[in-house]
Amino acid sequence: MPHHHRPISSSHPMCGALVLLLICAVANPAHAHTEAGVAGGLSSGFLHPMLGLDHLVAMVAVGLWGAQLGKPAIWLLPITFPMVMAAGGVMGLAGLPLPAIETGIALSALILGLMVLFSLRPPLEIAALLVGCFAVFHGHAHGTELPAAANPLAYGVGFVISTGLLHLVGIVLGTLTRWPAGTRAIRGLGGMIAALGVYFSAASLGWM
Amino acid sequence: MKRWLLLFCLLTPQWAHAHLVSTRFGEYYAGLLHPVITLSHLIPWLALALVAGLQNTASARTALPLFPLAVLAGAALGSTLPAQQWIAVINLISFLVLGGLVLAARPLPPRFFIALVMATGLSHGYANGMPELFGQGLVLYLAGVTCAAYLLVSILTAASHQLITQRSWGIIAVRAGGSWIAAIGFLYLAFTLFVTGAAGS
Repeated sequence: MPHHHRPISSSHPMCGALVLLLICAVANPAHAHTEAGVAGGLSSGFLHPMLGLDHLVAMVAVGLWGAQLGKPAIWLLPITFPMVMAAGGVMGLAGLPLPAIETGIALSALILGLMVLFSLRPPLEIAALLVGCFAVFHGHAHGTELPAAANPLAYGVGFVISTGLLHLVGIVLGTLTRWPAGTRAIRGLGGMIAALGVYFSAASLGWM
Repeated sequence: MKRWLLLFCLLTPQWAHAHLVSTRFGEYYAGLLHPVITLSHLIPWLALALVAGLQNTASARTALPLFPLAVLAGAALGSTLPAQQWIAVINLISFLVLGGLVLAARPLPPRFFIALVMATGLSHGYANGMPELFGQGLVLYLAGVTCAAYLLVSILTAASHQLITQRSWGIIAVRAGGSWIAAIGFLYLAFTLFVTGAAGS
């Protein structure tokens, strides 16, 4: 008995499924929701430190270094940082210029990365002063962007929470220092942050 | 038969009235939600609850029932008197004061704590006032704001007290929260003064 093959027509169920698959595969984000109101301000503020790699690694380094230094630095540095960062933000809002902001932020990643790499333990006052100086640069950068936010209060809430959570990530990772292998891993992470700091510094000075 | 029944149902729809807004109970929910979804009220109220959680139980129990009453009085005044711009500035300063007190994590003298609770309740209540409402709508709205004040601060105080007393890291987390709140207030106050040139809503 001869076997007949039916040609695949456009009405074939398989054809419809293939078209649907093709449409799904080439889908693009709609961006139907504009960044507006509280949600827009909150998301843009929250993502600002996360999406800027220079901010991100410096914040994590603060937590890592605090964990290396132990009590009271482990909680004192992350508690002090938001207040000093806000002071930097106020400078930005008030229009007070701060020279070499990008270089200052890049140097924060470099110096804090080196502190973690070599597990340096200066007196608490020196550590707080160092972290505080860098917090001013980070705060200034955030503060100058605040007026343009969809909702400035929500933007401030977002970036302060985001910064605090990045510190927490550093502190949690820093608990690995309880074990010898973990100590080496954290120092290695510090080295990576310092290397990124070198790159950011060179880029901010226009060398790359 | 089923098709005819379906067609009949579709042709004879009635209003569902599923949402209480349409039954004049909407003002209650408007009052309940207003401070909860407004960051400029929600954050200081959270800070007040954290301050209360840092006090001894007797002091917190004495002062906390006063907060919803102060909010009610403030909201009633705010609904009848004209809006005052300085109230918004005081509410912004409350971020700094309450956040700073959480950061300091020190027990306060009971009388000072009661005065702080009353002042916070009155000023934030005033800002929650709704001059457009009157009569039953205003009563429902004020009831909603008062319930929100009671529920929010009581629940958050209990949670913070539990965190501080039951977890070794609880006090650090609360102090970090205070630092965040003070930092947010500092930034927003500066924005209000330097950028908008006046106290925002």
